[in-house]
Amino acid sequence: MPEKTYTVTIAKDLEDLIPVFVEHRRKELESLRAALAAGAFEQLRQLGHRMKGVGMSYGFDRVSALGKQIEEGARTGDRGAVEARIAEYADYLARVKVVYE
Amino acid sequence: MNEARGPRAAQGAFHVLVVDDDPDMVAYLTRLLRTEGMDAEAALDGEQAFALIADSPPGLVLLDVMMPGVSGFDICRKLKADEATALVPIVLITALEDTESRVRGIEAGADDFLSKPVNREELLARIRTLRRLHEMRKELEERRLAAEVHRKEAIRKAFSRYISPRLTEKVLSESQNGADVFRDLSDRTAVVALFADLRGFTRLSVTVPVSRVVPMMNEFFAELATAVHENEGTIFSMAGDSLLVGFNVPVAQPDAAERALATARVMVRRFAPIARRWKSDFGLTVGIGIGIEAGEVVVGNVGSPSFMSYTIIGDPVNVAARLMQMASTNEILIGPCAMESLHAVLGEANSFDRRELTLRGKAAPVEVLAVRVAAY
Repeated sequence: MPEKTYTVTIAKDLEDLIPVFVEHRRKELESLRAALAAGAFEQLRQLGHRMKGVGMSYGFDRVSALGKQIEEGARTGDRGAVEARIAEYADYLARVKVVYE
Repeated sequence: MNEARGPRAAQGAFHVLVVDDDPDMVAYLTRLLRTEGMDAEAALDGEQAFALIADSPPGLVLLDVMMPGVSGFDICRKLKADEATALVPIVLITALEDTESRVRGIEAGADDFLSKPVNREELLARIRTLRRLHEMRKELEERRLAAEVHRKEAIRKAFSRYISPRLTEKVLSESQNGADVFRDLSDRTAVVALFADLRGFTRLSVTVPVSRVVPMMNEFFAELATAVHENEGTIFSMAGDSLLVGFNVPVAQPDAAERALATARVMVRRFAPIARRWKSDFGLTVGIGIGIEAGEVVVGNVGSPSFMSYTIIGDPVNVAARLMQMASTNEILIGPCAMESLHAVLGEANSFDRRELTLRGKAAPVEVLAVRVAAY
């Protein structure tokens, strides 16, 4: 069975911004993991909020969707849900492919 | 490329400031704006935003509400409270479902809202609309200012025929149309009247060539008018060789009598060098005679429909005129009512004496004060 990939289509005029954007998301993932390990739910909520705002603006709808769930999970203190979404985020970032048009 | 300071658009391009602490949002928004030919600049916090705005006020501000330090609401409130930036449209960027932020934004004076995630088409459509509105507002404001300047100029021109330029500026700065500053002159009004004339004028008019008389009289009146304006008096008439000045009219002056006395002294001193020159050029002995009196007068435009003049009429004007006629060269005669107001001031002067004079039209003699001014 072929490995699952996520394809994102981005406007051509944003192409040069994407490597920096993706790099920031990877750093964000590390921050999320660190905050989860520390039980820092307010920080998790803020990170989720930021993902929610920035992801879809660039065309990465899944980043926004996961961000919203992390923000909600952190707000309610649902550690299990947040941990699961962070794992999903890690998987997404590992598999996402960008197409420019 | 540094998106915060990226390439500047063509000169005259619409200038937008993006304020957001998220560098990815800054990069995205500034890119969209620059692609549309706008001049986009970015600030990552409130402090940076205020510095950039002070340096070059933008045509529009895109402002994130959730920022560490100074919030977007606070930045918005501050910009709207400042006269220099109040008209700059502000678009607050809030989360889609965040109704509370929108309410707070409206209260802070935001002109529009944009939801995160930001939709490209929506962003550009909102900016286009606000840009049109902003330009219309600016044009209206410029027209209003031009009308205001024109109106003030007309008032200045009208006032300056009567009152000093300094007093005109005071009236214009303290009141939209003078109504708040001018006294209600519909009833009889307390004023201090000063009359001054040129001693030796009759001889001057017969000994000096006719072609020189007018320039010489202009020289005389120019010095007297300067003395009046320095003390914020109002010139009511210039006739022959005499001048009528009022104080405490049309603007209230609690120290009107002191101003009148100061004006009289300055008149004599300013004219002294001219008198010396006339003496050496034409052998003329000239000087100034001055009368001052206080009391109630009627103020208004008096005359016929074809010729009117703004003037003061009443007993203190008559008394001041009589005193002027009786004053010696470079002497100031002060009537009994004005004298009362000047006790404190004259207490320091040593060059005055009291006299009893019988004035034409007055049954009993009146006590007046005579002040000699050294014409050095």
